[in-house]
Amino acid sequence: MIPAIRQAQTPAGRALEMIRSVLLLLSLAGWLVYPVELVLLKHWLKTWHSKVPFVLSPPAAILTAWVLFLDRGTPWARRAFIVVMWAAILMGLAGAYFHLGWNFEGKVNWGFATTMKAAAGERPVLAPLAFVHLGVTGLLAIYRAR
Amino acid sequence: MIEAILTAQTEDERTLEVIRAIFLALVLFGFAFYGAEHWIVGHYLKSWQSKVPFYVSLVGFVLTLGLFFTRAPVVRYPFLVWMAVAVLAGTLGAYYHLAWNAQSAEVGVWTVKGFAEAFKGTRPVLAALAHTHIGATGLVVAFGIRK
Repeated sequence: MIPAIRQAQTPAGRALEMIRSVLLLLSLAGWLVYPVELVLLKHWLKTWHSKVPFVLSPPAAILTAWVLFLDRGTPWARRAFIVVMWAAILMGLAGAYFHLGWNFEGKVNWGFATTMKAAAGERPVLAPLAFVHLGVTGLLAIYRAR
Repeated sequence: MIEAILTAQTEDERTLEVIRAIFLALVLFGFAFYGAEHWIVGHYLKSWQSKVPFYVSLVGFVLTLGLFFTRAPVVRYPFLVWMAVAVLAGTLGAYYHLAWNAQSAEVGVWTVKGFAEAFKGTRPVLAALAHTHIGATGLVVAFGIRK
């Protein structure tokens, strides 16, 4: 992305590459900081679900840095980046669902009042959606990027 | 935004405006969602600090929605200012969460152990940075916009 800023020919092209680069940089910061937060919060438990963010974050961070600083044109890197971003979106949505479901503590009831109570429960329901944001940002950053 | 997509002349301009519009939609969604979540978790307390996220989200939502329909300076400049406010509010929120967690745990944040202990406290420290994130996104997206 960053090399593309220098190669942009028009003001619109330059603005486009700047937006792509800055937002991907924010995204990279997220991929580096969120796993650290999860370690501090002891998110690595016995269940396999709890380990998924730790498994996905390293390749996501590496590929984001690759696309941002080095090269976004190599087909395998582009494809891998897009796949990992979609995986992040699915992981975030699944995480939000799991957090909400487990907040019911066995007494699952999707009525409005009980769901709102579960949404305010021990596990933060919106927090996993941060990964959805990272995934969407990545996909938008590479959208139509030649 | 919508008008800019329709009147874009080149592929670069069109791509730029589509990306701007989608990121702005994310910002809009963020302001709406975060405001609602703060309400659900009972963040509206007696302290004035606890009320800040609500007003940041409310004004942010209105200004972001406005930017979809017009880029006139009367909307664009307040939007840019408010995104900077959101960045600041989120950063201060993270600081307050950390500081109050440290106070509850009776630790100092200036040691690794104390910081880690405060970070794990009842108030989620990084959650406040969600406001910083959407404020930064709004700033980046709207910064280069000309009418």
